[in-house]
Amino acid sequence: MSAPACPSPLSWEILLGYWLGELDPEDQARTEEHYLGCAGCSHRLEQLASLAQEVRKLVQQSGVSMVVDEPFVRRLADDGLRVREYRVARNGAVNCTVAPGDDIVVAHLEAPLDEVQRVDLVTVGGAAGSEMRQEDVPFLAGSGGVIFSPNIGMLRALPATTLRMRLLAVDNGRERTLGEYTFNHTPWPPGE
Amino acid sequence: MHCPDPETVPDDATLARRVEQAAPGTDPGAEAELYRRLAPRVRLYGLRHLRNEAAAADLMQQVMLLLIERLRTGALREPERLASFVFGICRMTVLELRRGQARRERLLAAYGEALLPPDAPAPDFDRERLAHCLERLPERERTVLLLTFYDDMPAAALARELNVSPANLRVIRHRGLQRLRICVSGETR
Repeated sequence: MSAPACPSPLSWEILLGYWLGELDPEDQARTEEHYLGCAGCSHRLEQLASLAQEVRKLVQQSGVSMVVDEPFVRRLADDGLRVREYRVARNGAVNCTVAPGDDIVVAHLEAPLDEVQRVDLVTVGGAAGSEMRQEDVPFLAGSGGVIFSPNIGMLRALPATTLRMRLLAVDNGRERTLGEYTFNHTPWPPGE
Repeated sequence: MHCPDPETVPDDATLARRVEQAAPGTDPGAEAELYRRLAPRVRLYGLRHLRNEAAAADLMQQVMLLLIERLRTGALREPERLASFVFGICRMTVLELRRGQARRERLLAAYGEALLPPDAPAPDFDRERLAHCLERLPERERTVLLLTFYDDMPAAALARELNVSPANLRVIRHRGLQRLRICVSGETR
């Protein structure tokens, strides 16, 4: 047996705003009264809540690569996740690994970002030396760098290898290198 | 979208009326159908206000027990206003939950385990697909969605953190959510 469909569905913006606590008290009450009586809108709110929950789990499992900010890294650590951090100076190199107990690995790529309009992140690695470009990554001008967290599953599967990353400033169609970063990755020894 | 025939599918108000009219007896079919429809909605209300799955399940159970109890005693004068009635019980119960457990224990003692909360519904997408869809998003949209959903962070707070305007952040978030929903549901545009 299914319930009747909604003649005036709440928008996704309203549902998301409601879920995140952005609505004023009157709109919040209207939204709640609506979906409590509405199969269609409560189903879509359920989809949104599930999406939020699954995204949270993916982040906790480091199941997706991401460019993040410093407060977010601190929140992950405050939530009890084991965060392995590497700080790499501009044009620097670092020896790195991922331990069995690590939840998330984070690389702080130091670079001067003042006056920069757009930053692209290029990753070079693998046997074929393949290149992957992530365009227009988020950054804070005064932060002194970009924070990147790779998918930890992919990292664990890597053999001993060297990965290189490059930050590019893209301004008015021209680009210049902000910094290059070398990661000498070694797998965690089996049994340790 | 499937559109049920209103002639054959009773709406929530009709079910509520059937529960009331059955008193002093019961209409288990109407009660079960009302429970099946309303309990997940009440759970969402609980998740939104209590931000905790176990607390939301508690709230759901209490609200549904109270609702059935009140319907059986004819406390709902206008069945068409069932949603407002449930909303009122939800609000009151959240306040009560924060005050204590006494009423819950009394109700559970009266009704026992007859109305057990259903399990939280499983998402209609798998996590692997979600990861794939997130990886396909433009970087800014992915970052905004990950940071938004990890902490259920409102636009104003995240905009401050990322040093963008709240309006700009909402635009990025809206685009990202739209792309993500389409991707995980397998829709094509």
